[in-house]
Amino acid sequence: MGTIFFELALTLYFAGFILSIVGIIRKKNDLDKAVFFLSLIGFLLHTIYLIIRYIKSGRAPVFSMHEANSYFAWSILLVSFLINFFYKVKVLNFGIILSFLIMFIGAFFPRGIPSLKGEIKSFWIDIHAVMAIFGIALFSVAFVFSSLYLIQEKAIKSKKFRGFENILPNLEILDKINYRLIFWGFPLYTVALVVGFIKYVSLVGFMFDPKEIWSFLTWSVYLSIYYLRVKEDWRKKKAAYLTILAFLLVIFGFFGINLLTESFHKPL
Amino acid sequence: MSLTVVGLNHKTAPIEIREKLAFGSKETIKEALRQLIQKEDIAEAVILSTCNRVEIYVYSNVSSDKENRESKVEELIKEFISKFHKIEKDIFEKYLYVHKDRQAVEHLLKVTSSLDSMIVGEPQITGQVKESYEIALSERATSLILNHLMKRALFTAKRVRNETRISENPVSVSYAAVGLIKKVFDDLSKKSILLVGAGEMAELALKHLIGNGVKSIYITNRTFERAKELAKEFNGTAIPFENLKENLIKADIVLCSTAAPNYVITEKMLKEVMYLRKYKPIFLIDISVPRNIDPSCNNLDNVYLYNIDDLQAVVDSNIFERKKEAQKAMIIIKEETEKFFHWLNSLESVPVIVSIRNKAEQIRQQELEKFKSKFRDLSPEVLNSIDYLTQSIINKIMHYPTVALKNNCDSKEILIYSARRLFGLDNEEE
Repeated sequence: MGTIFFELALTLYFAGFILSIVGIIRKKNDLDKAVFFLSLIGFLLHTIYLIIRYIKSGRAPVFSMHEANSYFAWSILLVSFLINFFYKVKVLNFGIILSFLIMFIGAFFPRGIPSLKGEIKSFWIDIHAVMAIFGIALFSVAFVFSSLYLIQEKAIKSKKFRGFENILPNLEILDKINYRLIFWGFPLYTVALVVGFIKYVSLVGFMFDPKEIWSFLTWSVYLSIYYLRVKEDWRKKKAAYLTILAFLLVIFGFFGINLLTESFHKPL
Repeated sequence: MSLTVVGLNHKTAPIEIREKLAFGSKETIKEALRQLIQKEDIAEAVILSTCNRVEIYVYSNVSSDKENRESKVEELIKEFISKFHKIEKDIFEKYLYVHKDRQAVEHLLKVTSSLDSMIVGEPQITGQVKESYEIALSERATSLILNHLMKRALFTAKRVRNETRISENPVSVSYAAVGLIKKVFDDLSKKSILLVGAGEMAELALKHLIGNGVKSIYITNRTFERAKELAKEFNGTAIPFENLKENLIKADIVLCSTAAPNYVITEKMLKEVMYLRKYKPIFLIDISVPRNIDPSCNNLDNVYLYNIDDLQAVVDSNIFERKKEAQKAMIIIKEETEKFFHWLNSLESVPVIVSIRNKAEQIRQQELEKFKSKFRDLSPEVLNSIDYLTQSIINKIMHYPTVALKNNCDSKEILIYSARRLFGLDNEEE
């Protein structure tokens, strides 16, 4: 029981994904409403799925590769909805594309509920994982906004328009939201790393695993973006390129490091 | 029955002729409509008169032979125009176009959907057609056919607007400029604009920007007096020309159109300005010829510089885009024309009579079956008599409607339309 909600959500995301792609190819935003409702219903079913898994396992549903992907996709969609709601910016179609892809990857991993070793089953580990992945979701959406910013910027600067720009928001709002995402994402990610590190030291002692080193590397790129923002340098292109770079690091950290290396973070 | 449109537009006639034939005010149109529908051969009429076109749509239902009648109606309208505007027919006749039936319907649909406009896709024409129809409606100059046609035309225009991207991109230079600015900035009411120099086009663009919410306006000019004048007109602040650089640091949008023979804003100058404004984005529009802003300024980060040629290029590509969309729109128009004629054909008398009779026969058969299953022990003779009886009742009842529908009269279509509704024929079809 329960995985049916996952299947349903995945199917609805898929429909939203297809409509979004069609809209982007047609360079029109008349399908936005349909995309919105498909994603919303999918999102609600997905939420039920997460709750069921939480109740069943008694811990945050973020520890197997399947769980992590599912929660990651859910967070991206939640962030997209919040942006849609607070900024009235219609970029949900880009959110659902990303969300669906991650969810789709998650569908390939075993869906069983793994049991955690006693010492890992802790409130603080839950907090660490939930916050870290939510921070990564914020960064992922920031990546989308940075890419859109660069596309729109290039079109305006080079004076060559292909019609795609019409469905994009203006530069100012793209940048503003990008800033907000980093603004919230960075502290969240920082706290998650600190909590994780303290817990790790208390469990294993003072040593490094590959995930930690990689996360620190990623974190320092975000720190430099944060610094650029706080300094009020308005050369947004720099920040946008950095956000894209940081996202690539984050994604590699999320998939690559977890699967390739023998570490404490090896998914269950 | 026949539909005719007689008219002229910006493509066929020069302005001198168009203004002579125009129906200037609502009252003139009303008067013209009153005169038109008094004519024996004209049943319904709509007059469309805009600055680019004058068109008279007429529906006639004279029962004489078709060929004859059509040229008669055409002549009738031409004479009417000549009389009404007190102008010799020879002067304007060669500028006119005449479309009939299918062509007339297609033409109206094209006009309403703004495919026949000077600027393809401009939205005003749909409103103008709507208004013309409302005037005709208020004068009771339209009835069944033109009412249906006008509604179909307005519906088509809506479809074209929704299903194609024909009116999406601006096709005038000052609108294009505003469109570009809106791609960079979010809330224009929080942005400030600096007008350097003045000129007709700069003022036009400024008006558009004010219309889009820009509130803080700064104006500078070599002659300070002129700047003050403009500042007064646009509710802005006049600035001495020497302070240009300081104001560039503060402005978000710069509209430049001076008569200076050299660059007023150089790359070096703007570079310093950008440093001082912490690279906050700035949109520069240079509509002066020769150019007043060094084109290499566009290479600076967060500087967006468009000159008159760039804007024109945007406009041109938009026009090209619209023409492509116009082809899609034509498909919609063909479809809608087809639908209109499908409806019109349903108003022919023979098929209606056949349908009504079929329906009556169907009901009779059904009732007979019910009757037979209720009274099973009736003899075949009795059944035959009942069959005969019911048939003759139907024939008697159907006699007058049939005769009335077959007769040619002035308001035949209305009669047929009513018959379809009274006998519920259309419900059945759908």
